[in-house]
Amino acid sequence: MTSVNPQPINSASDISYEMVCHFLYREARLLDQRKFTEWDNLFAEQGMYWIPLIEDQPDPINHLSLAYEDSMMRQVRINRLNHNRAWSQKPRSRTSHMVSAIVIEKICDETNRLVVGSAFQMAEWRSFGLRTFAGLYTHTLVVSDGHLKIGEKRVDLIDSGEAFEPIEVFI
Amino acid sequence: MDIDRLIKKDEVHRDVYVSEEVFGLEMDRIFGSAWIYVGHDSQIPNPGDYWTTRIGLQSVVMTRGKRDEINIFYNRCPHKGARIAEEGCGHTNGLFRCPFSTFNLDGKLRGVPYLDGYQDTSFDLTDPRFSLRKVARVAAYRGFVFASLAEDGAEFEDFLAGVKSSLDNFCDRAPEGTVSVAGGVFRVVQRSNWKIFFENLNDTGHPIATHESSYRAARQYSEEVLDGELPFELHIIDGNGAPPKFWSDLDLHAFDYGHSYMTAIFNAPDDPLSQQYFASLAAKVGGDRAEEILAVNRHNTIIYPSCSPHTSFQQWRVIRPLSVDRTLVEIFTFRLDGAPDELLQRTFTYSNVVNSPSSIVMTDDVHVYAECQKGLSTQGGDWVSQHRNAGQDQPYSGSEGGLIGVGTSELPIRNQFRAWHEYMSEGSGQSVSPEAS
Repeated sequence: MTSVNPQPINSASDISYEMVCHFLYREARLLDQRKFTEWDNLFAEQGMYWIPLIEDQPDPINHLSLAYEDSMMRQVRINRLNHNRAWSQKPRSRTSHMVSAIVIEKICDETNRLVVGSAFQMAEWRSFGLRTFAGLYTHTLVVSDGHLKIGEKRVDLIDSGEAFEPIEVFI
Repeated sequence: MDIDRLIKKDEVHRDVYVSEEVFGLEMDRIFGSAWIYVGHDSQIPNPGDYWTTRIGLQSVVMTRGKRDEINIFYNRCPHKGARIAEEGCGHTNGLFRCPFSTFNLDGKLRGVPYLDGYQDTSFDLTDPRFSLRKVARVAAYRGFVFASLAEDGAEFEDFLAGVKSSLDNFCDRAPEGTVSVAGGVFRVVQRSNWKIFFENLNDTGHPIATHESSYRAARQYSEEVLDGELPFELHIIDGNGAPPKFWSDLDLHAFDYGHSYMTAIFNAPDDPLSQQYFASLAAKVGGDRAEEILAVNRHNTIIYPSCSPHTSFQQWRVIRPLSVDRTLVEIFTFRLDGAPDELLQRTFTYSNVVNSPSSIVMTDDVHVYAECQKGLSTQGGDWVSQHRNAGQDQPYSGSEGGLIGVGTSELPIRNQFRAWHEYMSEGSGQSVSPEAS
């Protein structure tokens, strides 16, 4: 997919609202197209994917999380999703993300970081039917080597404390 | 219902998994009489704290009273029937209040609005039937609180005997000798009968096939990126792909009342954190005792029919039937009191990988349970096999007694159904002595 912005990005203040929106939409679309490796490449080297277990969870280290995955654990999840003996992926999950209410909450030029909030819904079809996840995303985006990358993707589900059937794909 | 027709020595009839009538009887005869895990006393550290959960299909509230005692009530206002506490943990300032009545922490009715209106009726503030109903029996061992809804039945200590050593080891691993619930609770819904999950907990036949996608995924990453190295997270995923001999070399121990445990399938890494933890334990109990404690290394212990502690990584799974084909599993993690914080962090890491609803390991299990439930609902066959190594289990010579089988035996499953049969046979006693078949 071609970038909306052919010019290299030098600092956080070079980033327009439109670029942020496009980045988030593109991220969601890669997930819905099951282009997981391309999606994973959006993350910075130390980037983390985090689904807290409780509302306002302060940190992922001193508490359980629904998911807290670095590059290694994301890639292992992707390897599994692509494995032909992933029994529970027969038939495979299909998803549709809606991302909206995108707000740039913070821009820090010194660290070249932006904090972006948004609301989302993800519909997922599995062998047991259609289900919906809803919540708030908080993306910490970093400028790295002229590109926008994900430093952290935080997924706060509105029902994070509920009992779930297994969650296999990235939300 | 003729229960005997459902059970053979090494097979069970599919009705035990799919019949609504059997499920109803289980709620009455098993969950209505056995000692069921309710919670841990660290969840209610102060008077007025409460924890609302279920025993079978009954909503119950475990609370700490003013004299530090633990009470367990049915979660039902005796007046109009409203529940007095919502699910989960909470605190009340000395009184439970529903929209209709108020109760003391020990369950006594304290007040109702417009008391004048009850004059010359059979209503009596002091009559126990207008106070919260307590469950019949409550008992605790090292902080783990169990309850029985039946007045009569096995004594708690007799019930627990075979697997008491697992609870001891769970707590002895803490430098202070006590553990505390920490880090929240995972809750997973399975579309399958509760017994299917229990059967899986000590089953070593399934990992190499069921978990192929996850251990291959971990190995692929390890080979492609890490030159074959297996960090902790990958190590615990990789273990499921161990060769057959590894599994058959494990020991399975089975005890009265359907309990069992299996020996460990992987060890904690020998890293600086493990050494730091060992030092914290040895400082309290001495080096020899610390080694003795850590030498007891077990994978899942089963305390039938309600819970399963994992002693070496401080996990505690609670199995709560919802209906004949729905089961809720709750996963608690514990702090070893006095151990380094980083050890608790490793416990969380383990649980995130293995027990989270988003675990890449568990998802295949849950799928297979649901497939079993669907298949068992067909007329494709009435009997379910439990034959593996039947007739080969041996009495265990150690002080704990019970039976011992090779790691790939279905001994724990047959043992669960012996207890099941005993509970379900109306009028029978609670003595469930497994005999070498």
